[in-house]
Parts: sequence; structure tokens; C-alpha cells
Amino acid sequence: MKKVIVIPAAILLLILVAFATMGAYRVPTLVVEFVEKRPAVVASVEYTVDGLTCRGKSRGFAGMISGVEGIVSLTTYVRSNTAIVEYDPTLTDPVEIETAFEGPIVHEDEDEEYFPFKAKK
Amino acid sequence: MRVLRTIVQTLFLAGVVAVMIRGAMGLTASTCETYCPFAGFVALYSLLRYKTYTCAMNELHVALFVSLVALTFVTKKSFCSWVCPLGTVQEWIGKAGRKVFGRYVRPPIAVDRILLNLKYVVLVLVLGLTWTVWQGHLGFRAYDPFYIIFTGFQGHETLWFSIFIGIGVLVAAFFVPMVWCRYLCPLSAVMDPMSRAGFLRLRRNPGLCTDCGICDEACPHGIPVATADEVTARNCTNCLECVEVCPEKGALELTLFGK
Repeated sequence: MKKVIVIPAAILLLILVAFATMGAYRVPTLVVEFVEKRPAVVASVEYTVDGLTCRGKSRGFAGMISGVEGIVSLTTYVRSNTAIVEYDPTLTDPVEIETAFEGPIVHEDEDEEYFPFKAKK
Repeated sequence: MRVLRTIVQTLFLAGVVAVMIRGAMGLTASTCETYCPFAGFVALYSLLRYKTYTCAMNELHVALFVSLVALTFVTKKSFCSWVCPLGTVQEWIGKAGRKVFGRYVRPPIAVDRILLNLKYVVLVLVLGLTWTVWQGHLGFRAYDPFYIIFTGFQGHETLWFSIFIGIGVLVAAFFVPMVWCRYLCPLSAVMDPMSRAGFLRLRRNPGLCTDCGICDEACPHGIPVATADEVTARNCTNCLECVEVCPEKGALELTLFGK
């Protein structure tokens, strides 16, 4: 019955394999293009954002930065809570973008402010 | 064998409870769902068709599901009896019920055969609803006892009836062993065809077996081990309870690739 050790060994090995290979299945959760024509110069900034945990939250995040002039695109990956924002450096900068998404949302029903996103430093 | 399995089960259960407690304390955004391979199976549709993920599904779910497929081909449904915390809790509750009733209570065979197919209906419903009505949202959470119980009945999608489902599954497991796993778990339905092929399986040695039937009674899944030459049943989780209780050494042996 020494073969029983195959079971926990296989479980452990395959969990390690899963964590090691998950990058192979990495695709964006959300891709949003904010402009029809991309500007001549585009810079990008990557944020790790607390609260960016699903596609719905990604849409909320997109809504919060959509008002910033110069935003070109947003790509999110919820596993790593990553938001990659492309922007026109002549019109905005990473600090302004961060300020936009860290701002409050006012809940329609409760008239209460809450802060759904916070950049991890 | 039982000690080894209990250690492994306890480790995974402790892990998911730790995630639940840390989540309740606001120390992590992770939940039990973060490590659920069934979400990986559901995610395959959007991954293959749209090259994206919906809801909270992500690459870890898919990677865990792929590993689960490999594990099932090698060791049958050992995930259910060695890893899954819901399986562990149900097994322990079922054993308590067995002590009270003196044996596992099982539905009549004809009813059992019908009920065994319910999980395929659940699987089709979950997939169908997820990709139509729920529009890629993991709406099954509200009905999933794994999510309901291991978010401490406080998951953000736990609805009023979810609490009845969670408690109902735990109570039912006292009377009917492994009730969720046997009859309703959609992940179990996904694993069934692979489990049949599982390379690590039990073989009965008819020369040593005395046909006492103790193994049949010990199996929480009601598999007729005593009459099988080789246990290929889709429901076998390699919990090895039958081997544990077998009075004849060598009558039941675990074989890998038939050896």
C-alpha cells in the first residue's frame, strides 16, 4: 500500500504546477479604449490597485478614470489587481490618474461616500 | 493511510478556514472561491471564445482546473476525499451520523441511481445560466454550499436562501453520506469521465477476499467494492476506507497502471 503516497505527492506537485503555469492562461479581464484615434505619443503606467477584484470593479475603475483628459486605454488583470493605463503625457500624468481613481464614489441611495480603489505603493 | 489522508484533509480545511477568518478581519480580499477549480472550468468558455475573463474568474482558476484534470486522470476523484474542504466536512458529519445510526443510511438503489445523475443537470444549469441569464457572472455562488459555508455565511452574494442551502447540506450529510458530492456537485460531474479512466485504482484479489462485504458498508459513496474485480466506478474518490476496514491483508490493493 505504499502506492497511497502517490495521492498526496500528486496533489502537492499539481498545485505547484498550477501556480507555476498560471501565467500561460493570463488574459485581460477588461480592455477599454477611451479614444478613437491614438495620440502620437503614448505613455503607460501600471498600478496595483486594492479593490480591483472582478470585471464589474474593473468597469467601475474605468468609469472613474474616464473623466481624466488624455486617458487612452485601460487594461486590467484581476488576479494580480493590476491596471495598466495608457495616457497622453502632454495632457495628464500618473499622479492625476491615481487621484481620479482613488477618489470617492457617492452611493445613489445612501448619499454616502466610499473609496473603492486604492493604489498599493 | 487514514492518518495520512486526515492530515492532508485537515491542512486544506485549515487553509480555507484561515482565508475565511482573514477575510472576515479585512486582512485579505481572497475568499475560498479564489482557489476553486470549478471557476476555472466555467472560465474556459470566456477564455477560449473571447480571450478574456468575466466576473472574478482568472488564470489561477484555470490553472487549478487543468491540474485537477491531471490529478483525476492519475488518482481518480482523490480531490474530493483528500482536498475539498466541503467533502471533508461532509465526510466527518457523515461518520458522526454513522455512529448514531450504526451504519451509513443510503437511499434505495433505484432512487440512488436516479439521484446520481442530478449533478449533471446541476452542471448544465450552472453553465447555461452563467453564460446566458447571469451574463458571465458567477451567479452560482448564492447556491454553492462551498462558497456559502466557507465565506462564513457572509459572502457578498450570500442571499437569504443561501443560508438554508448551506445548513441543509450539512444536516443532510448527517443522514446521507456525502450528499452534495454524490448527487449535486457540478465539479464532481465534470470529473466523472476522467475518474473512470483514473490510473490509480483499487483491485480486489478474489483469492484472498472472503466476500464479507465490510468494504461495501464502509464506502461512503456506496460503491459495491466486494463484487468488483477492479474499482472503476466514477464515484470512487480513493478515500481507501474500504482498504482500511478490510480484514484480509492484500485482498484490496491499490494499483497504478494495473501493477
